[in-house]
Amino acid sequence: MTVDPNAATQNFPPPGPAPRRPGAATYLVPALVAGAVAVGLGVYGNVHDPEGTAFNLAGFSSTSAVKSWLATTAMGFAVVQLVSALMLYGRIPGPSWSGVLHRWSGRIAFLVAVPVAVHCLYALGYQTYEPRVLWHSVLGCFFFGAFSAKMLLLRSERLPGWVLPIVGGLVFSALTVVWLTSALWFFRTFGVTT
Amino acid sequence: MKRSGPLFTLLAGLLLALFMLSLNVTEGARSTSTGSESSGDAVSASPTPTASPPSGKPSASPSPSPSPSKTAVPNADYAGRTDDDSSAVAVTLRDGKAVAYFCDGKDQESWLKGDVKADGSMRLTGQNGNVLTGELKGKRISGTVDMGQRKYGFTADKAVKPSGLYRATATVRGAEVDGGWIVLPSGQQVGILNRAGKPSPAPRIDPETGAVTVDGQKLTAEPVTP
Repeated sequence: MTVDPNAATQNFPPPGPAPRRPGAATYLVPALVAGAVAVGLGVYGNVHDPEGTAFNLAGFSSTSAVKSWLATTAMGFAVVQLVSALMLYGRIPGPSWSGVLHRWSGRIAFLVAVPVAVHCLYALGYQTYEPRVLWHSVLGCFFFGAFSAKMLLLRSERLPGWVLPIVGGLVFSALTVVWLTSALWFFRTFGVTT
Repeated sequence: MKRSGPLFTLLAGLLLALFMLSLNVTEGARSTSTGSESSGDAVSASPTPTASPPSGKPSASPSPSPSPSKTAVPNADYAGRTDDDSSAVAVTLRDGKAVAYFCDGKDQESWLKGDVKADGSMRLTGQNGNVLTGELKGKRISGTVDMGQRKYGFTADKAVKPSGLYRATATVRGAEVDGGWIVLPSGQQVGILNRAGKPSPAPRIDPETGAVTVDGQKLTAEPVTP
């Protein structure tokens, strides 16, 4: 049996080599989505005339108290995120279910933060009248953009090892500052009230 | 195979946000029934049953009397915060008249006065064109204060002594001193002291007695009535 040396082989890499380093789209799509989300939120907060208030939850004195507690809940889960991420990367010993812990604490933190952001943008808007408020507005928008990017990046395989920790760290840092400039400020100004 | 969990997470967040937003918008449309919507624009834009024409009779009132009856709006004090928590608002109602004080505790304040209609709605005016529009619903007044450069939504709950609205005026060392305090139900105080027209954060008053020391002189802040 003769072998045609010019026959196409099955196991040769196809013309568009698949096992290559991640292409530009891998980063471009999350980056574009992140930018669109962050800018979109900021523009909405700026253009939409603040309604002053939105619905309140029973048992709380003000919507700000509700938001502060929701934000603090999100912050708590964000700390769980940091710890479970360190476990996943083997920096500290962790249980076998630390991956599940990371995924679900992140989901809860995000979903708890969403109503807070909706109230901020709907009732208060993007404001710049003092440094605390400016930082809160900017980083609040940045947070949801960075979070979207993180979620989309999770879908791509063969990322360089440093990408997810960096983006995750940005998300965590943004949330921390957003919390410091709102909920912590609220508790320090008005006391730890419900 | 690509992981779809993160996409579901984002989608869930988006749906939640849209759901909350629709809740807010529908809440806003029912502004008069819930009393939580406080945008002056929205109130004036929508033909609400409470927005009676200035010349006409109060709607839904069988006996159109020019002066609101005492039974419709009981005498009471209300104190609360603005929705952004930057400032405090207090309203005192007496015999169909209202006096209100808006104060951020630093340098922004406004005294506002006006009548309360029988249906509980009020439009109080102050200096520099500041306007408070509010509506009494049950034990709560909600509305907006237009401070010129900004508009603040607020809710003020019924306050019982010692919380409420206090004012002290005196001459201390030749300077006219005018202080206003809002004592919130939590006990927190928001006040501004004007010395010869220059505003500054006010010292604490004793809410039981109204006693306050200004520049070494003892004053008494009195509960404010219209």
